[in-house]
Amino acid sequence: MHDHDHDHDHHERPASQAELRARALEALLVERGLVSTDAIDAVVEYYENDVGPQNGARVIARAWVDPEYRARLLSDGSSAIAELGFGGVEGEHMVVVENTPDVHNVIVCTLCSCYPWPVLGLPPTWYKSYAYRARVVAEPRRVLGELGLDLEADVELRVWDSSAEVRYLVLPERPEGTDGLSEEELAALVTRDAMIGVARVESPSGAAA
Amino acid sequence: MSTTLAQVDAELSGYAPLPRLNGELVFDEVWHGRALGMGVVVLERLGQPWSAFRDHLAAAIERHGQPEGESAAEAYYVAFLDAIESLVAAQA
Repeated sequence: MHDHDHDHDHHERPASQAELRARALEALLVERGLVSTDAIDAVVEYYENDVGPQNGARVIARAWVDPEYRARLLSDGSSAIAELGFGGVEGEHMVVVENTPDVHNVIVCTLCSCYPWPVLGLPPTWYKSYAYRARVVAEPRRVLGELGLDLEADVELRVWDSSAEVRYLVLPERPEGTDGLSEEELAALVTRDAMIGVARVESPSGAAA
Repeated sequence: MSTTLAQVDAELSGYAPLPRLNGELVFDEVWHGRALGMGVVVLERLGQPWSAFRDHLAAAIERHGQPEGESAAEAYYVAFLDAIESLVAAQA
């Protein structure tokens, strides 16, 4: 997953004045006992990883266990996601695309970094890197391979370009060996990367489904 | 952790909306997200509502503007730092 970061310059150039000021303010607030670095870390991590992917994961798990919900999700993603209480303040149009044994979907935003953040949280930094945005369109199979997802040659690969009007979410395949799992247990298996389409959902045993 | 990103977004929309590009939230730099997190923690710690913060933020945005060569997101989060400072100063 971190291969994308090679072209990302966040760690290679000196901090900007504003970034230095942000660090200084944080240090001052820590000194005054108003914040702790750990508390800020927790918020940032929460926005990046916890809230969003969990929301999306609940949507996916519901679709796996409830065929009628799955049908609604695929026909009108925004409404079906709103049924579970998730949605953006701008009411963007969500389209859910389904992975099958024959078709694999992956999402990107070639223009900027459009991303279904109410269900997936803050986008990972690589999502908006030029390397990902450009290459996943030009050579998606290779990019996915570099990310550890090797698709069989006969699987059709569809790349969906998000925009302000339409945000895509991938409905991954339910992994094998999960028949006895509850909806909650299934949601715990679903990762952000699987809903972007750069990974599969792993079986509980740890092997790729 | 009680404040979701969607709640922050909703609280600030209409007053000092989080920067967007093509409709999507933009965090150009790692520190932008961290500044947002700092604001969330400070408000929770001070027990202040977002309505108190957004007045400081709107004023900071007005003062700072968008200097040439600075992206909209950069300008916004610089003002966000100003707003944290002025909120804390007002509480002192």
